[in-house]
Amino acid sequence: MVVSREETNKQFFLDRYRELGHRLTGDEKTPQAIRMNTIKTSDAEIMETLTSLDIKLTIVPYLDHGYVVEESRFSLGASIEYLLGLYSLQESASMYAAQTLAPNSGDTVLDMCAAPGGKTTQMAAYMGNRGQLYAVDVDRRRVYALENNLERCGVMNSLVYHGDVTGMELGTRFSKVLLDAPCSGNYVTDPGWFGKRSIEDVHRNAEIQRRLLSAAVRHLEPGGTLLYSTCSLEPEENELNMEWLLRNHEAFLEEIDGPGEKGLTEVFGQRLSEEISNSHRFWPNMTHTQGFFLAKVVKK
Amino acid sequence: MDPEVLMIDSKRFTLNQELKRRQFSRKGLVYAGTYLGWNKRLFEPGSPILQMLAAEENTRKVHLDRDTAWLFVCGRDVFEDNIERVESVLELGGHYLVMFDGRCIGYGRFETSAGIRVIRNLFDLGDFLRREDSD
Repeated sequence: MVVSREETNKQFFLDRYRELGHRLTGDEKTPQAIRMNTIKTSDAEIMETLTSLDIKLTIVPYLDHGYVVEESRFSLGASIEYLLGLYSLQESASMYAAQTLAPNSGDTVLDMCAAPGGKTTQMAAYMGNRGQLYAVDVDRRRVYALENNLERCGVMNSLVYHGDVTGMELGTRFSKVLLDAPCSGNYVTDPGWFGKRSIEDVHRNAEIQRRLLSAAVRHLEPGGTLLYSTCSLEPEENELNMEWLLRNHEAFLEEIDGPGEKGLTEVFGQRLSEEISNSHRFWPNMTHTQGFFLAKVVKK
Repeated sequence: MDPEVLMIDSKRFTLNQELKRRQFSRKGLVYAGTYLGWNKRLFEPGSPILQMLAAEENTRKVHLDRDTAWLFVCGRDVFEDNIERVESVLELGGHYLVMFDGRCIGYGRFETSAGIRVIRNLFDLGDFLRREDSD
């Protein structure tokens, strides 16, 4: 019998997750979700409009402005209300990153890997379109999508840069930094994931993420907060990177609450600092979202 | 150049007071503050400037129902008969903001096409989706 690479990989990764305490099937799904754009409308106003179009929405209890789409007769990415920027399509767990960082109008914020801008527009809304929101991305094609999103959503407080944020001098230090790092992703939002990914990819991404983490700490002012997130379930890109950060930078982790579980403090037989439990994991079997990891880092 | 307007390549932006106060690097900067539009052959306004104009009481506007508004954001012209309501009067050659549910979804010029009077579509918000395809 011939076993495909996809099946071998699937078993390999599912075995790893089992070792981390979760029996996943590899078939978990996340429902479509939208986030209301409070720069342009209120939840009540847009809910009334969408309900009149026979769209059934359910509020996500742990999100400020996030709703799961239970039923819709048309694509929510191509409605007049979407084009007007009254809402955005955004996966539920991914909304939790900017919500946890919770920037306000007094902050100077850096979004390090910003494109295509879902979290950037969300942070602009938290900031009430005030303060300064710097958004950087290295991929020019994706930066075009970011620019479109800022225009569509009515964002007025941003400065967008195209370039490599690890080597960039932006002329200021930031009170809040969001690093939603490029990562290996997960199978919930990418049906072909098991056929594409290997453990070598995970290690390669972890190296890139450490370079980005060092840059994030450099861009922060003392006492400033970094929100690190990935949509990867792999500890090398998450808890092990946080352990590395605590050993190599003057920083500590603040506790994150929410659905899901605390970050892991034992990974494949390796004991990590207890402080890592302040980070947070969305496991697809528990939260019915994609896999997601968050850590709130404060620079000393 | 108008000091209130920041040019980045052919795009024009305006900055709010908080961004104006800040000394920021121009290296690698591609977008700043509020996008006004870009210089093609003529100046082409972006969505934010249209929303600002729509907030003015004395701008010329035509209002559409949902079905006609949807055809408009798909790039179609609007037949005079399908205009639900006009603010000011329709004059051939005049430019009008095209409104749906109190918000601006684009603009056009009132003209005659093959003997039929239409709002010729000059810009609509469906451009966001078309740009994603062409970027």
